[in-house]
Amino acid sequence: MKKYLNRYKLLAVLAIVGLAISCTEDFTDRPSEDGISLDSYYSNDEQVASATNGMYSRTWFQFANKFFYAVTEVGSGNMFSGSSDVAAMRNFSLNGSDPELTNGWSALWANVAQSNSIINFLSARVGPGVSKEVLDNTIGEAHFLRATAYFYLVRLWGAVPIIENNLDFIGNPQINTNRVEDVYTLIERDYLLATDLLVEKTRGVNYASNGHVSKGSARAMLAKVYLYQKKYTEAKAMAEMVINSGEFKLLGGPSLPSKSFHDLFTYPNNNNEESIFAIQWVVDGNYGSANNANTQFGISTAALTTSNTSYGGVFAPSQDVLNIWESGDVRRKETIMLPGDTYTDIKVKVNGGKTDQTGFVVPSAEDIGGQGAGAAIKKYVLGIVNGNNTGEIDAWSMMENNTYIMRYADLLLIHAEATLAGGGATADAGALASYNAVRNRAGLPSKTNITFDDIFMERRKELMFEGDYWFDLGRLPRAQATAIMAAQNRGNRFTAEYFTPSEDDFLLDYPDNEVSKNPKLLDAPVPYTFE
Amino acid sequence: MQAQNTVTGTVSDDKGMTIPGVSVTVKGTTSSVSTNIDGQYSIQAPSDGTLVFSFIGFTTQELAIKGRTVINAKIAETAQTLDEVVVIGYGTQKKDDVNSAVSSIRTKDIENLKQTTVDQMIQGKAAGVSVTNNTGAPGGAVSIRVRGTTSISGTNEPLYVIDGVPVSGDATGKSMSGRPMASDGFDSSGGAGNNAVSPLSMINPNDIQSIDILKDASATAIYGSRGANGVIIITTKSGKKGTGRLTYEGYTSASSIYKQLNVMNLRQYATHQNNLALIYGTAPDQLRPEFANPQLLGAGTDWQDAVYRTAIAKSHQLSFSGGSETTSFYLSGGFLDQDGTIIGSGYKRYTTRLNLDSKVKSWLRVGTNMNAGITNEKLTINQSFGGLISNTLLQAPDIPVRNPDGSFAGPLDNSLNSTYFNPVAEALTKDNGLVRKNFIGNTYAEAEIIKGLKYRVELGANTEFSEHTDFTPSYFWGVQTNPVADLTERRQNWYSVNLKNLLTYDRTIGKHAFTLLAGQEANDSHWEGITATATGFQTNSPYGLNLADPAQTRTTSYKGSASLYSFFGRAIYDFDNRYGLSASFRQDTSSKFDPTTPNQTGYFPAVSASWKISNEAFMEGTRKYIDNIKLRVGYGETGNQQIPNNRYSAMLQQQNSGLGTGFLPANFPNPNLSWESMEQTNIGLDFSLFSGRLTANLDVYNKESSGFLFQVPLPNYLTGGGGQYGGMDAPYSNLGSMRNRGYDITLNYNTTGNFVWNSTLVFSHYKNELLDIQDGLNLVQSVNFNGYQPYDVTNTIVGQPIGMFYGYVAEGIFNNLDQLNSAPLQFDQAVGTAAGQTYLGDIKYKDVNNDGKIDATDRTLIGNPHPKFTFGFTNNFRYENFDLSIFMQGTYGNDVMNLTYRNGTSNAGLYQNALSEASNYWTPTNTDTDIPRPIGSTSNPNLQVSNRYIEDGSYLRIQNITLGYSLPSDLISKLKMSRVRIYGTASNVYTFTKYSGYDPEIGSFNQNQLLTGVDNGRYPSPRTYSIGVNVEF
Repeated sequence: MKKYLNRYKLLAVLAIVGLAISCTEDFTDRPSEDGISLDSYYSNDEQVASATNGMYSRTWFQFANKFFYAVTEVGSGNMFSGSSDVAAMRNFSLNGSDPELTNGWSALWANVAQSNSIINFLSARVGPGVSKEVLDNTIGEAHFLRATAYFYLVRLWGAVPIIENNLDFIGNPQINTNRVEDVYTLIERDYLLATDLLVEKTRGVNYASNGHVSKGSARAMLAKVYLYQKKYTEAKAMAEMVINSGEFKLLGGPSLPSKSFHDLFTYPNNNNEESIFAIQWVVDGNYGSANNANTQFGISTAALTTSNTSYGGVFAPSQDVLNIWESGDVRRKETIMLPGDTYTDIKVKVNGGKTDQTGFVVPSAEDIGGQGAGAAIKKYVLGIVNGNNTGEIDAWSMMENNTYIMRYADLLLIHAEATLAGGGATADAGALASYNAVRNRAGLPSKTNITFDDIFMERRKELMFEGDYWFDLGRLPRAQATAIMAAQNRGNRFTAEYFTPSEDDFLLDYPDNEVSKNPKLLDAPVPYTFE
Repeated sequence: MQAQNTVTGTVSDDKGMTIPGVSVTVKGTTSSVSTNIDGQYSIQAPSDGTLVFSFIGFTTQELAIKGRTVINAKIAETAQTLDEVVVIGYGTQKKDDVNSAVSSIRTKDIENLKQTTVDQMIQGKAAGVSVTNNTGAPGGAVSIRVRGTTSISGTNEPLYVIDGVPVSGDATGKSMSGRPMASDGFDSSGGAGNNAVSPLSMINPNDIQSIDILKDASATAIYGSRGANGVIIITTKSGKKGTGRLTYEGYTSASSIYKQLNVMNLRQYATHQNNLALIYGTAPDQLRPEFANPQLLGAGTDWQDAVYRTAIAKSHQLSFSGGSETTSFYLSGGFLDQDGTIIGSGYKRYTTRLNLDSKVKSWLRVGTNMNAGITNEKLTINQSFGGLISNTLLQAPDIPVRNPDGSFAGPLDNSLNSTYFNPVAEALTKDNGLVRKNFIGNTYAEAEIIKGLKYRVELGANTEFSEHTDFTPSYFWGVQTNPVADLTERRQNWYSVNLKNLLTYDRTIGKHAFTLLAGQEANDSHWEGITATATGFQTNSPYGLNLADPAQTRTTSYKGSASLYSFFGRAIYDFDNRYGLSASFRQDTSSKFDPTTPNQTGYFPAVSASWKISNEAFMEGTRKYIDNIKLRVGYGETGNQQIPNNRYSAMLQQQNSGLGTGFLPANFPNPNLSWESMEQTNIGLDFSLFSGRLTANLDVYNKESSGFLFQVPLPNYLTGGGGQYGGMDAPYSNLGSMRNRGYDITLNYNTTGNFVWNSTLVFSHYKNELLDIQDGLNLVQSVNFNGYQPYDVTNTIVGQPIGMFYGYVAEGIFNNLDQLNSAPLQFDQAVGTAAGQTYLGDIKYKDVNNDGKIDATDRTLIGNPHPKFTFGFTNNFRYENFDLSIFMQGTYGNDVMNLTYRNGTSNAGLYQNALSEASNYWTPTNTDTDIPRPIGSTSNPNLQVSNRYIEDGSYLRIQNITLGYSLPSDLISKLKMSRVRIYGTASNVYTFTKYSGYDPEIGSFNQNQLLTGVDNGRYPSPRTYSIGVNVEF
């Protein structure tokens, strides 16, 4: 009997063991439960059309958060900052160990990597239910975004590696940089492809539908790229194609008289008729999805703050831009806050942050704030959260107002400059029409004959704090740019300071971390072979 | 025949614990009694007779009566070193028979260490096992390295097996949710700081019976994929047959930091600020008027005094144990309430445990081990630029702690606003709490099918619910304000189920003894969590998601699962108690790898052999002196698979914009990803001399890990900086190989008799070397020093140990123009006095690559965080009723990167305090200094990471001194108690070190092996005095 008992026990055991073994099917296959696998997505038009959405904000955050202003605006002498993380370009001491440098660099390459993923693989991944138009447009956006990222890279660093498919280099990441002219070739090719693939648009009053870029956006950017290469004929032709298409309009221009320059930088006017390409911030609970400009600009003192946090006002106008304005230029008050200016529609915190107040008068110079500039930046400042006037804020008090990469006023000035084509002065009707449209909108009288310097100064005023002047300086003859910057007062209101850039200050260092991972970045650039 | 007298007395063990059931016999007769529950006896014996006291497990003792009527006997436990049982994977073995390198720690080795968690107690107790406390915060995680560093990925922490339930030592959750308990990320640049919490903190150290550490692969290979970092097997207490036992243990302690750093007081600060302002170019009439006469100022705020406190801890534990012929039990409950030495931090723990074992049939045993625990922690941010400790040191002394109205103070003018905040306000008003509720346990049944053949099924589970609350109230600290409160709530839960089926067969045929094991194991883990952020509160208290502005509340969630499926087997063979041979094999299939490929499955064999030389006939003559000599040789292979999920495939992550939600690829996939493997060879020698008085264990080993799993450190031009901001995470890859060679030595000497002396010295040495890495990639790691800006601090290159400090070599300060003009150009900076130029008083960096200029390529290895050796020296003394133990431990030959010194001497900006020596900066008249001229920019080249910040981190610490006194047993037996011991303990008594920071024991930042020894404001380990009592009934 005992013998049998043992046998039953043994059988029972084997049965349990067998059970355990037999249920192994799929036990070790654990697909993600909170993420979507790349291979199983992109089955319909909506999914494909939204593929680029994140590339209108997240991929730009590290670029636009601080780096963009620290280099292009502080560097060009438009802005002043004493804040050590963003002040290095004030005296051209930015070097490769600067963390913001790494942030800006990384963000541009994030755009390249994501664009490449779409350009190289999206066609093969989409399901049969996806229409060619939607697919083409998305791929067109990827070309547009890659070109835009490279346009910044080449202007900031000069020679950089051309990467058309990241997977080609995952196994051999140490690659050479490519020549500047090759990078420009890539940019032109991408924008041209984008003009083919993107949809045609006319920017209307339904601002929500204006957000994604169009053929016109690509043409406008291409006009700028041509101008940077002094390809005046192509730049002019491309600019005229955009102007003649009627896709974009100046806010406050003859065709949109109900709006104004002021409206350009308000939240309800995101993706207005003038916007060619803008970063589309969103408050989504994640750090790095929204716009920090309202906090970083403006006034932040115990007595008065224009931000929902107390650590703002990092950037201020330079002493050099306070007195360059013609009288009657409406842009001055929309760009810079000077003592005594009154802003009736902006909500602020007063009394040590304890009281909210709508409307304020800019305090005296000594009470404006920590940078000691005696003035504050107004452009992109919305004030503290105030319902639909400002949109929401996130936990870091960042907001949803767009950041312009390009707007129509820029294109009009490009058109005027391309028409001038390097000459001394012009009275060309088309050039004057474009140039005067921008001036008239600013409340200034027309001119009948314009020089390069006229256009150049108009660009500085129109696009001030929008990250353009540094690149404008960069395309001047070096001696001229150096002279302009050397003459700028780059100090605060107490102490005038002057710094003279040297030749190598016009291009940034590669980040140290990148050089240590790839010393070849420091080698001479090599030619790139396009397929 | 002599007259018969009644002799009475109490029998106790050498700890003074009375022993029931001891047989007391009159020698040469059959007259015999047993001691009662209280260890008392009464026997009729002749006055010139002899009493024999005997009890299983104790040395039999004979005492002549010599006319006495009261004889209290003390019997000693049999020297157990040879018969001691060691817990090996999926079984036990007599210590004497073990072929592998195993270190065992018994209750008596650690009972005096009043540490919060078990892992801290291992420090200095086992050779080859290095334990560093990564923080002085109660309940914080430690880093345990068994024989150096095996891997640089995932985790280097060992696998813990607690009563059969596997628990990963990884405090970072990397291989599960990818999130630590108490925040969303571990990035070096984030504000979360060093916040890993110990995975073992739910286990009450008082419940531990033994800790066995399997060090070499011939032992750990049975754990296969999880054995590469060593396996620590923790066995909790069980009941013993006999009368029930009731034990109370309680202590109270007071802790405080034992060292303050020398920062400037207000007078020094004001002078220093004035001087810096002038150097930065401030006009003399623009200096701060309140600092016009520094000598008239007071001392200002001493932030260290304000933030650190004497912290009180209270611990109570009650346990009950007992057993009958068939059933034994152990039941305990514990409570610990420990304040942190930083105000606002603290730790509370409630634990309960039930261990039960019962023989229900002659052939069937069942049992369970269950532990439930709740911890409630108040955390601080430390080891971070934004951390409390940095703020304590660098906050300006002209800011008071509080305003006259009692509210917290801050800078009053925006121009005085630095990035530092009022640390007292921060500590006392912000809530950063973590509540964890953990259940870990297993249930087993073991049947003896035929004699020697046992089948055991074991179902274990470990689950934890955690609640992290991070609340920043609205505050107005001068100009530093947070007008509206913010709340982040995270709820996470995970569980892991472990099923084991084991068949073992024991058989001895003549001189041949076999133990065979076949087993199957399945492990299934699931986790999920929800995070919500909210703001728009109308009031600071109470707060909750429901009280926030619903329009501004955001939620997100995550979930996932992982599994491991395994078969394994082992054969142990012994011939004539002279030759031993073990062989094991394991096959693991892991869900971490692509299920469509064979990469999922890994194979882990091991073999070991031993020769007990002392048992050979030719050793017969030496037995008088040499009890035991054994030679061991082992070889094994283990693996590692602790990486995030789904790295073999490309995933999309949601990235939003104003245009709506969208998905972008989050990572570059690597379908070829497979096991990291580790091969280890171990040669060991054990011997004991003079009846076990001196024992020694020596082990040498060579271990090589290959294909270690690591995220390929691709340049950002390929990844865009990774997935967080829309780039793509670099792929994980089987990236390289590394080697650890070393030796472990344990020496033990003990005496018996009235004066008992027991000393154990453990000594460990390893040498780590990176052998190979894919594509010559470089593994530079950064930490955040300043304003969320990461800087490179370590590098890992082939031919060198991993995680070496990396930076420039400073060669003093430029003192004259000749030096300056003849030196290589530094960072493209011309020589001159203007900003961004190099001038006198700047650091002269070495042109390491001799290319005639100083730039990023001149960075080199500047220090080594790996010690040459570590040691622990435990000494226990006992005389009569007194016991004394002194425990010392330390490291030798390791460097520390002192970033606290860097930040405290940077002289790079106004409105922040500095270490006193910062005022000794270079000036044309003060050239004999190592602190360069002040420059008002935090990115100035003088502050580059260089050997200026490397210090010798060697230390010798008197870790613990305990003096105990046990009340005499005849006294306490009247009180129906069997043991009462009172003791006093001093921990962290004194540290001999040259290190200038708070504490040379830095550990690793969030267990990241490549960020070891970087002191960025670590929570200092306190000095603790405690008094306690042990009572047994």
